[in-house]
Parts: sequence; C-alpha cells; structure tokens
Amino acid sequence: MLESRWGYAYLVPALLILVAFTFGPALFVVYISFFNWNLLDPALSHPVGLENFTRLLGSARFIGSLVVSLYFTLATVAASALAGLGIALLLNRHTIGRSTARVAVFTPYVTPLVATSIIWIWIFNPQFGLANAVLSAVGLPELQWLESTTWALPAVIMYTLWHNLGFTVIIFLAGLTTISRELSDAARVDGANAWQELRWVTLPQLVPTILFVVVISSIGALQAFTQFYTMTGGGPLGATTTTSYLLYQEAFVFYHTGPAAALAVILFLITAGLTLAQLRLGRNRGATA
Amino acid sequence: MWVLITSLNTPDQVLTFPPSFVPHWQWQNYVLAWEAAPWARYFLNTIFIASTTVVLVIVTSALAGFAFGALRFPGRDALFLLVLSALMIPPTVLLVPDYIVLKDISWLDTYWAQIVPWGASVFGIFMVRQFVSTLPAELADAAEIDGASSLRYLWSVVVPLVRPALITIALYVGIGSWDSFVWPFIMTSSPSVQPVEVGLATFYGTNGTEWTQLSAAAVFTTLPVLVFFLVAQRQFLEGAFSTAGGLKG
Repeated sequence: MLESRWGYAYLVPALLILVAFTFGPALFVVYISFFNWNLLDPALSHPVGLENFTRLLGSARFIGSLVVSLYFTLATVAASALAGLGIALLLNRHTIGRSTARVAVFTPYVTPLVATSIIWIWIFNPQFGLANAVLSAVGLPELQWLESTTWALPAVIMYTLWHNLGFTVIIFLAGLTTISRELSDAARVDGANAWQELRWVTLPQLVPTILFVVVISSIGALQAFTQFYTMTGGGPLGATTTTSYLLYQEAFVFYHTGPAAALAVILFLITAGLTLAQLRLGRNRGATA
Repeated sequence: MWVLITSLNTPDQVLTFPPSFVPHWQWQNYVLAWEAAPWARYFLNTIFIASTTVVLVIVTSALAGFAFGALRFPGRDALFLLVLSALMIPPTVLLVPDYIVLKDISWLDTYWAQIVPWGASVFGIFMVRQFVSTLPAELADAAEIDGASSLRYLWSVVVPLVRPALITIALYVGIGSWDSFVWPFIMTSSPSVQPVEVGLATFYGTNGTEWTQLSAAAVFTTLPVLVFFLVAQRQFLEGAFSTAGGLKG
C-alpha cells in the first residue's frame, strides 16, 4: 500500500459533492424543522421549537399517512421477500432456460416508473382494463381499483411488486450461491424431504440475505413516490397518501417548509433505525453462530 | 404486449370490453403522440444529463475508491465510514433542503441541478474500493520502485484492472439517471431542461384520456432503456450479483 499525503486530494471531488448536497443539507433540514420557514424570504423565518413535530404528531393526516406507509411497506416487503425467495429457489433448481428466465424476471426493475405505472393505470381501468377482465373471466365481481378507497392501495402494491420483484430474486439467487452444497446433500442422505431440507438447511443459511432484502426493500418502500404520484395522486380521499407523499404535498404543493422538514427528519429517523437494526441483528447472529 | 397492441389501436377499439387483442396497426398514434410534445428535446436532455452524470460519477468514484483502497493516510478509515453513512440519508429527506440550496445558488431549473448533486455515488466509491483492495500489493510496490506517482499508478495500472467495476457503475448510474423522476420533477419547471420521464408525466397530465397516444408515448420512452438493458444484461446481472455478495459480508 502506498503512503501518500495526496490521499486527501483524491477524496476532494466526491467529498465536496457529498458535503454540499447530502451531509450539509441533512443537517440543514434538521435546523429548518425547528422553524416556521419562509421559502420566499428566509429572513422572515422564526424559530418555533418543537411545534412542527408536536403539530404533526397530533394531526390525523400524519397518523393516517403512517398507517398507509406501514400497510404499503409490510405488504410489498412481505410479498416480495416470499415471492422472490420462491422464484429464486425455482430458478436455482432448474438449469434449463435459467439465464433467459433471470433476464425476464429482472427486466421490469429497470423500466422507468412513470411509463410503466401509466400502463398499469390502464390495466386497472374499471371499464376497459385487463384486471377487471381477468376478474370477470373467473367469475369474481369487478372492482373500481384506483378509484376505490379500499382497492387503490392494493393496486399500487401490485404494480410495485411487479416492478421490484426481479431485484429481490437476483439478491436471493446471489445468496443461494453462497450456501453449502454438502449440508444439503447430507440432509438428503439422512432422509430429509424437500420441505425439511428447505426449513432446516437452506433457510437458516439464507438469514443474512433475507435480512438484507427486508431492510433494503423497507427503506425503498418508505421512499416510494413516483407510482403514487402518477397512479393515485395520494387519493382517493387520502387513501394512498404515504408519509413520503405527505412530505411532497407539504413542501411543494402547500409550501409548508417547516412541517415538511419535520417530516423529513422523522423519515430519516425511521430509515436510520432500520439500517442500525440490520447491522445489530447481523452482528448478534455472528456472535451466536 | 397488450400495451403495444393498445398503442396501435384506434381510440374506439380501446374502449371495448373485454379488451380486444387484435392489433389494427395504427402507426399514426405514434406520430400523433410524438408531435404532441417536445419529445426530441426531452430525449436530448435525458441523454445529456445521464451521460454527464455517468462521467462525473466514474471520475469521483475512481479517485475516492482508489484513495480508500490503495493509499494510506491518517483518518482514512474514519472518512470511509463517513462516506458510507451517506447511505442512511435517503433522497426524499434531502428534497426540501436541497431545493433551498439549489435555489440559493440559482441552479433551480438548470442542467446543473440534475447532474452535480448526483455526481458522487457511495455505491460507486464502495465498489471501486473493494476492487482496488483485492489488487496484489506487488503492483503498488513495482510502481513505487519505478518512481511512478500515485496518479500515474491509478491511471495506467489501476483503471484498466478495475474496468469491470467501472462498467457496472456506469450502467447502474446511467439507468438510474434515465429513470429518475422525483428530483427533476421538483427541481425543474421548463421543458427545455426537463428529461423524458418528467415530459411523460406532463403529457399524461394534459392527454390523460387519449389512451392510444399515451401508450404509444409509454412505449417509445421505455424502449431505449429496454434495448440498453437487454444488450448489457450480462453486466447488469453480474453487477447485482457481486453487489449483493459484497454487501452481505
């Protein structure tokens, strides 16, 4: 390894950008969250202590948005982890056509959200859409989907699953390549059936991967915005207003900069909590294993 | 498939139930959609923003990743931890303060606002560092004996060896920039600097009921990304694989 006084010089471009647009603003948003901030004339801003936070905690809109975010996050994370694991196990078992299948599964993940969510709006169209055609073909009642307070969120969840599943599958496939073949062979020699092998041999070795998938997709789900903006606009009647969507509305529709900053701080605390929980869980496992 | 067919149908056929799967080859939907918005401008903006962002990220990642992986200086590990901690700050949290920062430096509604804030990638720095730290120490020793400066060593020895990592970074940053919506949507307002995705959202806002033209627009804005991905799919999947493997450890 080279001893170099010039080490810092190499870091300057990256650090300059990170400080100016990530670390600096992250501190700045905490500062703003204690103010009644005037976007047009910052000189007119005045400190309000914790008022932005206490107002939020007492507002039905904020609590409602947390419920929507929690629903959306739990549903997308649980479904994509389960389905992702299932598809990865299938792809791992069959070698014929695997690389084609991998590409097919991954493709939706690289498509732009605005374009493909517009297509799904059409799929969920109550009069002419594919979703209701399928429902009526199997004899189920048709739904109002994005226009219904009950079904709008599940519709956005289905779109999000379609878009993100491929990423989860690839991560699980990567995880599966690291598990020991000898252990699986030994289990089979001892007479374990496919389920027992999965439950007692494969899954325990996949725990770090599952943890990684859960944390990464939870953080992603908490940030989700684009599909809500195009598919529902947070409606109907706030039924799909997540905390991230509320932040956008407060900041850039109503220009309530202070409360929006408080929302950002809360979102940051949740994200940081999730990341630290993952690190901690990972470390505990390492210690006990 | 269904989208392709819808984009080629007449408006009357779209409004039938159950949906019709017989295409009617109405290529003029594409012509009409293309003429209804400044798509050429949007596409040029996207290509310009994505390619300059990629170049900037490659330069900053190669320099910082090299320093973290191959050079020794006081405070290096602490600085690396600091860089990694940026992963805990999600973009949504930064929308409000960065809007104010960009407003203060008069970068709102410019290309700058869409390129520079995305010019440093923690993922990129991390990946280059991982690659560089696996290079044999003899390489650096040989360079030192030859009297090569560290910059020369980086340029003529390290860069060629970490090319696979740089390509993966370029692909992911490029697609990420092409697909990005929230940031340009908030930070820009004129079609003259806006990218395709924002243009498509605007088009949807004004032509929301013209489903044949709308699906035509959805098709021609997605197609470039799809072709790009299918051509480079091997690098994409290997990149995702190695990242997942690297982060797990």
